[in-house]
Amino acid sequence: MTYTVALAQVNPACGDLEYNVKMHVAQVEQALEAGADLIVFPELSLTGYTLKDQTLDVMRPADCPEFACLRELSRHIAICAGFVEEGANSIPYNSAFFMDAGEVRHVHRKMYLPTHGMFEELKFFGRGGELSVFDTRFGRTGIVICRDLFHPLEVSTMAALGVELLLAPSAMPARGFGGEQLAIEQTVGLALGSASTFLGMFVVYVNRVGFDDGLGFYGGSALSDPVGGITISAPLFEAVQVLGTVDTAHIARHRYQLPIRREEDLEIVRHALETRRNS
Amino acid sequence: MTADALALNNTLVYDYLKRFVQEELHTSGFTEACIALSGGLDSALVLKLAVDALGADHVHAIFLPCRASSDESRRDAHTMFEFCGVPWQELDISGMADAYLALQPGIDRLRTGNLLARLRMAVIFDQSKKENALVIGTSNKSELLVGYSTWYGDMACALMPIGDLYKTQVRSLARHIGLPQQVIAKAPSADLWAGQTDEGEIGLSYETLDQILYLLVDQRCSSAEVNSEGFELDLVHRVELKILTSQFKRVPPPIAKLSQRTVGIDFLYPRDWRK
Repeated sequence: MTYTVALAQVNPACGDLEYNVKMHVAQVEQALEAGADLIVFPELSLTGYTLKDQTLDVMRPADCPEFACLRELSRHIAICAGFVEEGANSIPYNSAFFMDAGEVRHVHRKMYLPTHGMFEELKFFGRGGELSVFDTRFGRTGIVICRDLFHPLEVSTMAALGVELLLAPSAMPARGFGGEQLAIEQTVGLALGSASTFLGMFVVYVNRVGFDDGLGFYGGSALSDPVGGITISAPLFEAVQVLGTVDTAHIARHRYQLPIRREEDLEIVRHALETRRNS
Repeated sequence: MTADALALNNTLVYDYLKRFVQEELHTSGFTEACIALSGGLDSALVLKLAVDALGADHVHAIFLPCRASSDESRRDAHTMFEFCGVPWQELDISGMADAYLALQPGIDRLRTGNLLARLRMAVIFDQSKKENALVIGTSNKSELLVGYSTWYGDMACALMPIGDLYKTQVRSLARHIGLPQQVIAKAPSADLWAGQTDEGEIGLSYETLDQILYLLVDQRCSSAEVNSEGFELDLVHRVELKILTSQFKRVPPPIAKLSQRTVGIDFLYPRDWRK
């Protein structure tokens, strides 16, 4: 199976839900015209990132009336976008939904909320406690939000649970301007390469652009292919939509060539953890 | 350690900073920028950056000399106005300063310097109102960290595009974008009295200062570790002390918390807040 994915490298307006929903609709329509089957937006794409106390104002359940137009559009194209989710417990979560066939099919709550240096997510958000692994028409799919991608144990576990398509909406600020590439770009490249090369997954990494209070998000969205490496790479700093093609045959081909999945033995991990716990 | 650790990808940095100026201005609802030009390198770089980001028609630069300003400052400011294609504007602040100085016999150089910096601030903010513009600041990371700047004087602005660049990085970026050599090569000076230089005032060269700051701040090294990189311990301690004693300039003044939500403490909104 081959399908087309649109990477919507956008610049959301911080705290302006109405503007952002309209921007999402325009992006989805553009992707539809281009023949895409799936569109992926960055982390908190519907709200902006540096919300602080605006978090309370913009939190919504995924099935809220404001997102009805996106649910409607998802009859024609699957949509993954970031938002502040109002949990049933009234706690705000940094989440991403996956809509398809007119419905919210899944919501992932970010598990690892960076709270150090320039980041202060745990000050405002509840922490997600579950890996997101769910079946879609694209195969077994997983979502990691930004920092989640940097936790190899979780990404490996998702691979062990059968994930073939990993969606990675992000809001990574630029830093480390000393080299040919930004330092953060290199770090992300390691995570993408690791997931595709060792775990045999496609990864759709979509990072936002624009500035929030001096933090500049660098873009550089990418499609990472188990066979081809980074096949699509969006420019730095520019708001663009780029298209990539996923050929699911690459998964089997790669896993045959480098059969790490076949070799994987989670019993070794389980044994190590139990031994450690009992010692 | 060599100065290479401070080397930057100047192409990437300049592109990024242009976008920063454009977006921060536009997000705040402005199209115009105001810059006070001193004839020095920092304001020269910021002027060029603003012109490249916004277009010369949207940048209002003004040279604000006083009696103590050197001929060299005027010449270099003039060169930069021409280089960037913005019309020459000048307003001499000597008269404003004299009115106050006459009431303060015996005022020392430091107080006079601070007064001049704050008069320039008052003028540039008034000009920005006239032009419906935001004031773009020209402070660099070296001076912000050691406090070699006037609180509510030259530090006062709406945004600081080069506030995360050390002075030596500012020089490198200026060379990269081809600023006039005479502006790059001159000794940095606040130009508050004849012969004044930053390096004379701070007591060490920017090359040395920036490397010490980089190790202390960016690399979080201890003073002993910086010393082991070849910098005298006394010097390192002096730099540390400058950072400590100027901390008040880098943060908003503390507010005594009384209510459930207090400005600056738990009334938390981004600067780019828009409803």
